Amino acid sequence: MSRPIYGLTIRALLGQRRTLALVLLSLAPVFMALVFSLAADADADPHNFYSRLVQRLFIPVITALVALIVGVSAIGDEREDGTILYLAATPLPRLGIVVAKILAAWTVCVALLVPSVVVCGLLALTGDVTFALLFWPALGVALAALAYCAVGGWLSLQVRRPIVVGVIYILLWEGSIATYAASADRLSIAAYGRALVAEQLPQSAAAVVSPATAAIVLIAATVAGALLGARAMTRAELP
Amino acid sequence: MSDGTQPAIEFSNVSRWYGDTVALADVSFTIGPGVTGLLGHNGAGKSTALRLCGGFSTPSAGSVRVLGMDPRRTPDVYRRLGIVPDHSPPWPFLTAREVVTICARLRGMPDPAAAAERAITEVDLNDVADRKVGGFSHGLRQRVKLAQALAHDPDVLLLDEPLNGLDPAHRRHVVELLRTLGESGRTVIVSSHVLHEVERMAPRVLVLVNGRLVAEGETAEIRQLISDRPRRVRITTDGDGTSLARDLVGAAAVSAIELAADGFTVDTDDVERFSRLLPVAARETSTSLRRVEPVGDDLESVYAYLHDRARGAAR
Repeated sequence: MSRPIYGLTIRALLGQRRTLALVLLSLAPVFMALVFSLAADADADPHNFYSRLVQRLFIPVITALVALIVGVSAIGDEREDGTILYLAATPLPRLGIVVAKILAAWTVCVALLVPSVVVCGLLALTGDVTFALLFWPALGVALAALAYCAVGGWLSLQVRRPIVVGVIYILLWEGSIATYAASADRLSIAAYGRALVAEQLPQSAAAVVSPATAAIVLIAATVAGALLGARAMTRAELP
Repeated sequence: MSDGTQPAIEFSNVSRWYGDTVALADVSFTIGPGVTGLLGHNGAGKSTALRLCGGFSTPSAGSVRVLGMDPRRTPDVYRRLGIVPDHSPPWPFLTAREVVTICARLRGMPDPAAAAERAITEVDLNDVADRKVGGFSHGLRQRVKLAQALAHDPDVLLLDEPLNGLDPAHRRHVVELLRTLGESGRTVIVSSHVLHEVERMAPRVLVLVNGRLVAEGETAEIRQLISDRPRRVRITTDGDGTSLARDLVGAAAVSAIELAADGFTVDTDDVERFSRLLPVAARETSTSLRRVEPVGDDLESVYAYLHDRARGAAR
């Protein structure tokens, strides 16, 4: 991995106006948890609320969209404005360039999403918080974000409209087809993210795999995204 | 620098097409040390050729070698290759110094800061080196692009329209710099659509027209070829110009003539001889010349002539 490219990409990502919109999107669940903590009925189950918030909103929607957009931006913006030429015209292995970009995107996503999911837990669960109830959702969000960033990075080098393709995958495949056909869950990043938290949270849907397997699959998806991205970079028509 | 046993750049039957559009058609050439001009009108294929050299595009057919390597598959070639793209300004949120330093570091320079300082001085950017590139004029951005390409002291330089946007003083400076680099044994390719700009720095040119290589050789030879091409000249006279036209035909100074009410249009294969004969014939026939102007003497028609000539030679 190239440190200068990692630092350069983080500076580029943080300097975008789009990042402000992503901050607001990441804070949407915090707002919902705040409302719950202030205005929920006395008989409302905080664990049940937190479980639904993490598994139905935070991982499959907020994490998926934020990480996809940041992952695509990390490479796609440079491809669009032509600055990728200055990185491509270096002797660095293409895999090293792509990995640096994916890790930079992931760093930004972790900074946006992990504090948000932890604060959601603290607000929703109030006096009933345990380390495990905060740690596993944070890990699920972080690893799912890593896989989404890698897929976003690969798409930005592979297809003309990476955001559109990514959103179709998230909404149509993960949000629709995978909820009806159990086997389709096996190709859903969100399903593996949820599998990491399922054992810790009540009233979870049946996990596709164990937490350990889910972590391995998400890391494998990241590696695959990085390898495919590096391959696409050697073949892509650069501006 | 190129080791002398192989050309720095070698195109072998290279074609590049995008759907139905042919950007380069079966182009072959080799380029060695020194400055070589890549000349052609907008859309002739110059940028495509440079992008293929730079490894940013894959040929649809044929092969491209830079320093004996395929730039698409061998990133190591960029240690010895510097590139100035036509579009693509560097990162706007970095200062000029940061851009050049980061490029030097990424290309493996042991002391990137010192390399950047040298390159910034070479292109006369010291005064603005610590300002952000986003606020730069087109000319300043061109100089940043040039500095990043020079920072790792490459053996081969690919420059796509590097003089665009530069003021006259910096044009002269960059021309002199590139000429010096060429004379020191580096291989420098400079694309442009203006011959007189290229001939100030490049002793050799390649001319592309509509994706085809239509001429290559010494710049002076190409200049002569262009000067010697058949011309069409429109002559406006006071009154009837028939007697003048007859005299010119009689002197075999023109190959075709087209009469009009206020003068005539001639085709000539030897414009110098025609220029000498015209005032003499006008005086002898007592014809007043009101206007003498070339027809279709713009750059496009020069390229069209070279294109037609190359096609004729190929038949």
